[in-house]
Amino acid sequence: MATVLTINGETKSFDAPPDMPLLWVLRDILGMTGTKFGCGIAQCGACTVHVDGKAVRSCVLPVSAVENRTVTTIEHVGSTPAGAKVQKAWLEAEVIQCGYCQSGQIMAAAALLAATPNPDDSDIDAAMAGNICRCGTYVRIREAIKQAANGRQS
Amino acid sequence: MSGKMRILTSLVAIAIVAVALGVWIIRGPGPLDFAGGTKVALADYRAGKPTGVPAKLEKASLVERGEYLAKAADCMVCHTKPGEKDYSGGLAFKLPFGTLYSTNITPDKDTGIGSYSDQDFLNAVQHGKRRDGARLYPAMPYTSYTFMTDEDVLAVKAYLFSLPAVRAKAPDNTLSFPFNQRWAMMFWSAVFNPDTRFAPDTSKSPEWNRGAYLAEALAHCGECHTPRNLGFALDNRKKFAGAITAGWRAFNISSDKATGLGNWSDQDLIAYLSLGHAPGHGSASGPMGEAVDHSFSQFAPEDISSIVAYLRSVPPQPSPDLPATTAPVAPASHKEGVTADARGKKVFASACASCHGWSGESPVSPMATLTGTWAVNDPAATNVAQIVISGTKRHTPDGALSMPAFGSAYTDDEIAAVANYVTARFGAKGSKLTAKDVAELREQTAE
Repeated sequence: MATVLTINGETKSFDAPPDMPLLWVLRDILGMTGTKFGCGIAQCGACTVHVDGKAVRSCVLPVSAVENRTVTTIEHVGSTPAGAKVQKAWLEAEVIQCGYCQSGQIMAAAALLAATPNPDDSDIDAAMAGNICRCGTYVRIREAIKQAANGRQS
Repeated sequence: MSGKMRILTSLVAIAIVAVALGVWIIRGPGPLDFAGGTKVALADYRAGKPTGVPAKLEKASLVERGEYLAKAADCMVCHTKPGEKDYSGGLAFKLPFGTLYSTNITPDKDTGIGSYSDQDFLNAVQHGKRRDGARLYPAMPYTSYTFMTDEDVLAVKAYLFSLPAVRAKAPDNTLSFPFNQRWAMMFWSAVFNPDTRFAPDTSKSPEWNRGAYLAEALAHCGECHTPRNLGFALDNRKKFAGAITAGWRAFNISSDKATGLGNWSDQDLIAYLSLGHAPGHGSASGPMGEAVDHSFSQFAPEDISSIVAYLRSVPPQPSPDLPATTAPVAPASHKEGVTADARGKKVFASACASCHGWSGESPVSPMATLTGTWAVNDPAATNVAQIVISGTKRHTPDGALSMPAFGSAYTDDEIAAVANYVTARFGAKGSKLTAKDVAELREQTAE
């Protein structure tokens, strides 16, 4: 039976077992490889996407759980107001090193700013603690989030 | 008779009476004594058919009927070590006095039950006696299965014998003295095994009787949900009041309004048993998750309804350590609500928040919602710590949902901290777990 999802504003129809994680659907079935596989157990944040605007880990989310909900991925987050600000700040602050975790970082940061437009350090900790970066770009991530919130370089 | 002899005889008589009285007091009522109505032999009961399979399987083959009953009795979960072949045994039960391993019940002649006759199988399941005459330990719930009819027990045997034989020998038990003396279980069995078949209660409905048979003889709910007495047998004076089994808390399932099932709707109970989740009451995990996945989810709908009807009739038993009401949803912001335990908060932010949310209402799935569950409202935090250690994997009609096990990623101290944070933020009263408590929980988990 075909599964129907709304991803990035488009309706996508495909065949997948109901317990297939959303990440597999995105990458292997729909060819949207911007979202990364990191640990596979919701512990690194590389696979973060938005479901109904909230940051969730797509590697443990069965596709059956997101039917009739709105999914946004890194490919489309730039068209949301918070996502656009975050991407701009990310480029200005030169956040990225190897880049593997960064789609997850950007998705988590965009969800944070959409819910909390002016986050303080503790808000950033609470929202971003589950996103791991092996290059250690945390300092620049924090800086870029503040910059995206203020709309200017600090 | 000399005066000395007379005194001695009286002392012996007093001792015998004292022991008999002690045994009678410890043993207490049987699992169905609370119902109080007139019991009749199954053969004389005409109002319905409490035993056997549901109507749709009435005409099915013996093996198919046996499969339904084996699932209803949930043989597989205990008789399968995770990752090994079904029913091939080897699951470790860690007890305070050593480790017991479940046996291979596939039809392998050397390591399984392949050479069991019908009578051998009945002896094991209803009387706790192995083919070689040795006594079974009551980790095998034969004191519940003893209520099964011979016909149903033998249908289960036919099903097991239809499965592929697996050659697998369970490790030897490591029980300490005196618990390694199997023969002594003869006395335990004489006192605590009711050794009687199910007898319907004519004062109750046919549905109740079916539910009683399913819950007591097959599903053996009491083995986890009824506290144990001094002799490690079920204390039916506190029937279904809840207990700790294999390091998990099996909560109160008596009809108590505040802390039992009294406030659950029929729909909640049906959903919880057949899907392992009821909105606002949380999800089954640990041993109950396994019971749902392998047993209750396979029940015919009318059998689930019968169990619900039966559970409703069990007298209320309060759990005084639980709050009268569960805590409401926590604030959406991490800054509001209970935020004490800075260390627990750090662990929660990095490992838990992405799926469970700061409010306790999961952005991922209602099954991962913490709000309203007994686990987070239990001031002992047993199941919170346990699920952090062991994780969970559930299979539902909509697919699998899992939580990773954090037992090897975090220290006992960190797990205690996050459990204390979680119960304080999402429950009615925060727990005070220590690293030592967490270490003890790890010791008790079956594996």
